[in-house]
Amino acid sequence: MSSRRRIAIIGAGPGGYVAALRGAQLGAKVAVIEDREVGGTCLNRGCIPSKAMISCVEVLEKVKKGEEFGINISGEVSPDLSRIIDRKNKIVGTLVRGIHSLFKSWGVELIEGMGSLTDRHQIKVVTKAGEEKVIEADSIILATGSRPAKIPIFPFDGKRVMTSDDVLDMRDLPSTLLIVGGGVIGCEFASIYSGLGVDVTIVELLPRILATEDEEIGSLLERELKKRNVKIITGIKVDKVQMSNDKDQMSKLNVTLSDGRVIASDRILVSIGRELCSDGLNLDKVGVAIGKRGEVLVNEWMETNIPGIFAIGDLVGGMLLAHKASAEGKVAVANCIDGEEAMNYNIVPAGIFTLPEIGTVGLKESEAKEKGIGIKVGRFNFRGLGKAHAMGEISGMVKVISDEKTKKVVGVHIIGPHATDLIHEAAVAMKIGATYDQIADTIHAHPTLSEAVMEAMEDTGGISIHTPKKS
Amino acid sequence: MNPEGLKYHTDHSWVKIEGKKAVVGITDYAQGELGDIVYIEMPEKDAVVSGNQEIGELESTKTTSPILAPVSGKVIEINEELKDSPELINKDPYGKGWILKIEMSNPKEIDQLMDAKGYEAFVKEGEK
Repeated sequence: MSSRRRIAIIGAGPGGYVAALRGAQLGAKVAVIEDREVGGTCLNRGCIPSKAMISCVEVLEKVKKGEEFGINISGEVSPDLSRIIDRKNKIVGTLVRGIHSLFKSWGVELIEGMGSLTDRHQIKVVTKAGEEKVIEADSIILATGSRPAKIPIFPFDGKRVMTSDDVLDMRDLPSTLLIVGGGVIGCEFASIYSGLGVDVTIVELLPRILATEDEEIGSLLERELKKRNVKIITGIKVDKVQMSNDKDQMSKLNVTLSDGRVIASDRILVSIGRELCSDGLNLDKVGVAIGKRGEVLVNEWMETNIPGIFAIGDLVGGMLLAHKASAEGKVAVANCIDGEEAMNYNIVPAGIFTLPEIGTVGLKESEAKEKGIGIKVGRFNFRGLGKAHAMGEISGMVKVISDEKTKKVVGVHIIGPHATDLIHEAAVAMKIGATYDQIADTIHAHPTLSEAVMEAMEDTGGISIHTPKKS
Repeated sequence: MNPEGLKYHTDHSWVKIEGKKAVVGITDYAQGELGDIVYIEMPEKDAVVSGNQEIGELESTKTTSPILAPVSGKVIEINEELKDSPELINKDPYGKGWILKIEMSNPKEIDQLMDAKGYEAFVKEGEK
């Protein structure tokens, strides 16, 4: 009889599969239950597919700008969406196989089917073939994630009226696309499809797009999207969606907005948020508490109100980020075994893969002000940087927010080339409590984009070398 | 240098009066200071603007700079050519590089603008 801890995890997304591998590394006997593909939303319907597609758009943009770079391109340069989707599927396939192979390597058992709780230490799995299996475990981790939110106004059919899941399989470029919801997902898709030549309009309920991000950054992105001919309508919602012609399956949709305007669009992508997948788990039976949004409630050790049952990732709400799920997975599984690790959300960088990219970590300017922190702000525009000019990507800036008393950096927001990578310098600095002086005093190699971070830190003290004197 | 028949705003824009209409652009000095203009954000047609209100932005390889309305009124026309060829502002700031036309709501505001000589002196002062 094995004395190894038995851990069962429902969901093999970035939360579940990472928890599984870490659990196995720590010596536990791990089983993961997954009813779709390993890798979850992130790998199959989210992070990876969209990044694969934006990379294709980047190539297209560069090639179209060939003249500017002294490159002669003869003949037509155009995207083939079907092949872009094929490439995306191939990449996803490779990564899915990679996870299967890691599971094999570490001895993680994968059970394919839909899992739900029958008891504190028991899970029922219904396989695709309809068989039922019972899994016993010492500890259970719930990691079933989230799905695109659907509201009744939209007649979702997966082809003309789509969620982010559906659009990633769209193989024909429509002439026009209406994106409802100008948050992170809406803006990323706006960058992708406008880059592929589609006439894109974003309709956003709130007064600005990317309302979750720092205002200056959101406003810069809005300008960059407009430069790419994306139309942006804010402070407005959709009242009605009608097919313009019942007979023709693929005819335009007439979308009536709350101000009375009617927009005709070939396709609609609805990206208004995500619902948490707590409904299929049979949580009532075992008494696992959930919150208003359907999120499973957990403490800082990722444990629910039922000892031995943990939950992680999108399922527990908070920032819906793959890396947050993975970090929580590592904490939860350590706690399943013998640990007492608490989850710390202080430094969670995030990337938004629009064109240009956005990287952020820490507080927004408005958040710092709301918390009553006296702040100093430093800024540096990429167009002040030689490397950005050499690359031909001068749009964007680095914005640094520091505590004016302690001089410690409390937030950094970057919009521009490689922002999603550059932000990690800030994340590390903030984790160790660095001041803007310390970062400004760190030599940054020339010519690199990272110099913009150094200059923004210098600007906090009013001494950015490559910024003209402010009057 | 600065065309005689125009009026000038302290924000380095010029105004050409055509009856109730004001044609607006930026001066040669302004385009020189900005450098190669790569993008211009203009207000929408029919937008109502007030004098000195920020109504758009110029983006050059060096910097970004807000555009202030030199007079109040309604935007009746914008120079669509600038969308694809913003460099017209550098090449021909008083001609093809015109930016927009405003139907003035308060023509008296013209009196607050400078004439060519006044603007020249203003620029010289600023450079000291």
